[in-house]
Amino acid sequence: MELLKKYSEEELILSLQQRDQQAFSYLYDNYAPALNGVIYRMVEEKELAEDILQEAFIKIWDNFTHYDSSKGRLFTWMINLTRNLTIDTLRSKNYKKQQKISADENSVSNLSNNYSGAERFDTIGLRKNLENLKPEQKTIIDLAYFSGYTQEEIAKEIGIPLGTVKTRMRTAIIELRKML
Amino acid sequence: MQANDIISSGLLELYATGLTSKEETIQIEQWAKLHPEVAAELSAIEKGLESYAQAHAIQPAPSVKGKVLAQINTDKKTTIIPFNNGARSVAPFWKYAAAASVILFISSAIINVSLYNKVNETAKNLDQTQQSLASLQQSNEDMKGSNESMKQDMGVVQSKYSEPVVLNGIGVAPNAVAKIFWMKNTGEVYIDPSNLPDVPSDKQLQLWAIVDGKPVDAGMIVTANNGQKFKIQKMKSFGKVDAFAITIEKKGGSPAPTMDQMVVMGKPTL
Repeated sequence: MELLKKYSEEELILSLQQRDQQAFSYLYDNYAPALNGVIYRMVEEKELAEDILQEAFIKIWDNFTHYDSSKGRLFTWMINLTRNLTIDTLRSKNYKKQQKISADENSVSNLSNNYSGAERFDTIGLRKNLENLKPEQKTIIDLAYFSGYTQEEIAKEIGIPLGTVKTRMRTAIIELRKML
Repeated sequence: MQANDIISSGLLELYATGLTSKEETIQIEQWAKLHPEVAAELSAIEKGLESYAQAHAIQPAPSVKGKVLAQINTDKKTTIIPFNNGARSVAPFWKYAAAASVILFISSAIINVSLYNKVNETAKNLDQTQQSLASLQQSNEDMKGSNESMKQDMGVVQSKYSEPVVLNGIGVAPNAVAKIFWMKNTGEVYIDPSNLPDVPSDKQLQLWAIVDGKPVDAGMIVTANNGQKFKIQKMKSFGKVDAFAITIEKKGGSPAPTMDQMVVMGKPTL
């Protein structure tokens, strides 16, 4: 069994630009669970989520030349691509966006987490840290990040003016960053 | 805009969570290139969110990775993009090629924006189409209903037992005509009142059957302006009739006909 090579973000991007499949395999191992978590929270169906995840990674491979590192981190590009793909799939399947995210019982942190295997991220440690995030701060991040809501939809869901979404999101992410 | 103002605006957070509009997105990408502090802040925000997503990761089934790798291996369309590390000098041709590709990129961005607008437009049109489809379906339902009653009417006219009796205008309405369809097997009497005159709202047309020389009430004819007038109506049944007549009576009918208000009259051929 070959040793797993570790890549920095820059190395990973360079290798992927050169169509290095080993780098792609590494990319999958490190990011598929996080992307799957996002898709699953949007579709709430394991098989459909995995179908979309598969399609998303094919798209990431096929469209990698479109990724521009000056515009943001690799993961941001991947999650945007994945979220858009999921929204398109839900629309084409005539799914209704489920208005399920709320501050309490449906909060994403209460969904079971079965992340396992070789991991680069200290998931459990991260989750512990995030427990200190206020529910309203979690909710606003979740609605944007895990539900693909627009600013208007978020304002409506939480019941705040549209202009407040920006400041509320900033505060939430500042708090989030303090906990990492 | 100063770097500090950009950082405190909250726009970078919206950008990183995928909430900015196309215009804002382009603007923020420009800012990030102009101001290293903005780029650094954006990167820190993105790292924060990335950790957030990692903390909520869900391991997919192991088979998914195999499917993905199999698919990228069979994909013949993928081409190797040679990587230029920037150390070599750039030939003039490539400068022009680069300039051309920038122009291409910008025009493709413009086309994308216009396509995006078209998609929105199309979605709107789809909505409208769905609405008009729903109203068409409603009118189709309505039409089914009127078709049903027309079939019933045709059944009365076409029945081999129906004997047509034409009632011709006399007295107050010389141009009026009414058609009776008298079913010889059951004695049912139907009337087509299409060519009867309109009557004031406090009056109504009453059909009479003359049996053994005496007028017998055969029912009220609906002539109200709700479309009913044009439909063949079922009246009272008779086994034996010498003649049919229609008079104008007060609303609800009279026990005996007002003879000077007779509109039409006719005799069966038998």
